[in-house]
Amino acid sequence: MELWQAIAIALMYYISDSPWPIGMGYWVLQRPLVAGFIAGVILGDPVTGTIIGATMNLIYLGHITAGGTMPGDMALAGYLGTALAITSGLDAQAALALAVPLGLLGTVVWFTRMSISSIFVHWADKYAEEGNIRGVMLMNFVPAQILLFVIKVPTLLIACLYGPDLVKGVLDFLGADILHALMVIGGILPALGIALNLRAILKGSTIPYFFLGFALSVYLKLDIVAVSIFGAILAFLHIQFTRGGENRGISA
Amino acid sequence: MESRPKKLTKGDIVKSMLLWQFFSHANYNYERLQATAFAQCMGPVIKKLYQTKEEISAALKRHLVFFNTEPDFGAVIHGITIAMEEERANGAPITDEAINSVKTGLMGPLAGIGDTIVQGALIPILLALGISFGVQGNVFGPIMFALVLTCCLVGITYSMWMQGYKLGRVAVEKLLEGGIVKDIIAAAGVLGCTVIGALAGKFVTLTTPLTVTIGKTVVKIQADLLDKLMPGLLPLGLTLLVFWLLKKGKSPITIMVYLMIFGAVGSFIKIF
Repeated sequence: MELWQAIAIALMYYISDSPWPIGMGYWVLQRPLVAGFIAGVILGDPVTGTIIGATMNLIYLGHITAGGTMPGDMALAGYLGTALAITSGLDAQAALALAVPLGLLGTVVWFTRMSISSIFVHWADKYAEEGNIRGVMLMNFVPAQILLFVIKVPTLLIACLYGPDLVKGVLDFLGADILHALMVIGGILPALGIALNLRAILKGSTIPYFFLGFALSVYLKLDIVAVSIFGAILAFLHIQFTRGGENRGISA
Repeated sequence: MESRPKKLTKGDIVKSMLLWQFFSHANYNYERLQATAFAQCMGPVIKKLYQTKEEISAALKRHLVFFNTEPDFGAVIHGITIAMEEERANGAPITDEAINSVKTGLMGPLAGIGDTIVQGALIPILLALGISFGVQGNVFGPIMFALVLTCCLVGITYSMWMQGYKLGRVAVEKLLEGGIVKDIIAAAGVLGCTVIGALAGKFVTLTTPLTVTIGKTVVKIQADLLDKLMPGLLPLGLTLLVFWLLKKGKSPITIMVYLMIFGAVGSFIKIF
C-alpha cells in the first residue's frame, strides 16, 4: 500500500464518523458495502473492494445503535478490513472473518469517544451560563471532532502501513486449515447479522413472511430484487386484510 | 412585553434543520447523548427570538438537557419545540416544563418508531439490494444504496421538521395514536421479514462433508439427506438458533464468539 493510499483510507475512516457528509456517515459511509467500495477505489480495485465490502456487510445487517450502544465498529471492519484483504489477496469470505475481530477492536474507539465527549457537554454548559450562543454551538462539534480525528487517523494509518505484512505472515504461517476455518466462520457469521435484524422486526403475524422469503430464495432461487417486489405486494395486502379485523374506519 | 411579534422566517427554520441534519451526532456522548446537538440547532432560533442575556442563557440551558431520539423521524420534536419557543417569545404562557415535557415525552416513542422503520426495515432492505449487487462485483450496489438512503433520510428529516413546526404538539400526538404509523410499521415488518428471509437463504452458508457408509452405499449427508429435506436447512437452523439466543438475552458479542468457536472447532474436526 502506498503512503497516500494509507492516508486516504485513514481519513475516510474519520470522515465516515464525522458530521461533514450531510450527517450521512453512520447511515451510509460506515456501511462496509460502501466502505469496501471506497477502499477499493483508493486501492485501484473497486470491484474487488465492493465484493469484499458487500460480503462483510452481511454480519452488520442488523446493526442498530439504540441509546448509544455499539455492537462492533463496522467502519473499521469496512475500511481497514477491505484494505487488508485486498493487499493480502484474501477472498471475500475469509475477509469477513477478518472483519469481526477488527469490528470488536473498534468498539474501544467508540467507548473512548463516548466517554471523553461527556466532558465537552460541561464546556457547553459554561457558555450557556454566559448566554453565548456561538460558544454553545461550537462546543457541539469542535472539541469532539478534534478528539475523533486524533484517535482515528493515526491509528488507522499505522494499521494500513504495517497490517498487510502482518496478516500475510500470519496466514502463511497458519496454512490451509486456518483458511478453511476462516471460510466456514465467514459463512455462518451472517446468521448473527440477520438474527439481530429479526429481533427488531420478527414478531407475531410477520413470522411466516421470514420463512416465505427463505423458501423463495432456496427453492425458486429468486434474487433479492424479485423477493422485495413480492414482499412489497404482500406488505400492502397484509395491511389491507388486517385492518378490517380492528374495525377501523377508512382514515387518512 | 414587546408589541412587535417575533416571527421566525422559513430560512431560520431550514438553517436550524440543516444544523441538526449535519451535527446530530457530532458530540454524541454517554452523559447527555444528543443534548449539545439539540442546543446547537436551536442556536439560530434563540438568536432570533431572544435579546437579553438572561433569556438567551435560559433558553440555551433549556436545550442542553438530556436528549436522545432517532434523528430522522425524531425531527418532528424539533419542529414542535421551535413552534413552542416562538409562541413563548411572543408572550404565550409556555413554561420550561412544558417544553421539556414535550421533548422528553416524544423522544422515546419517536425513537421507537424511527428505529423500527429506518434501522429495522429501510436500511436492511436497501442493504440487501445493494449487497446482492455488490457480491457480484457490481459497483452500482454501494452507489445506489448511498444515494437512495441519503435522499430518503434527508427527505424524512425535512418533512418531519416542517410538519412538527406547522402542526404543533397536539397534531403529532394525534398522529402517534392514529393508524398510519401503525400501518407503516406493520408494512415495514412484512417487507423486512420477507427480504431478510431471502437473505438468510442466500448468504448464510453451512454444509457438511460427512458421509455415512451403509453396507456398500456411501450416503452423503449433505447432498443425499439434508438437501432432500430442504435446501439450506443447516443455515436456517443456525439462524433461528442465533435468534433464540438473542431472545434469551445473550449479547451479540458473546454470540459472535460462540459462532467463531463453533466454526473453527467444526472445521478442525472436519464436520464442516
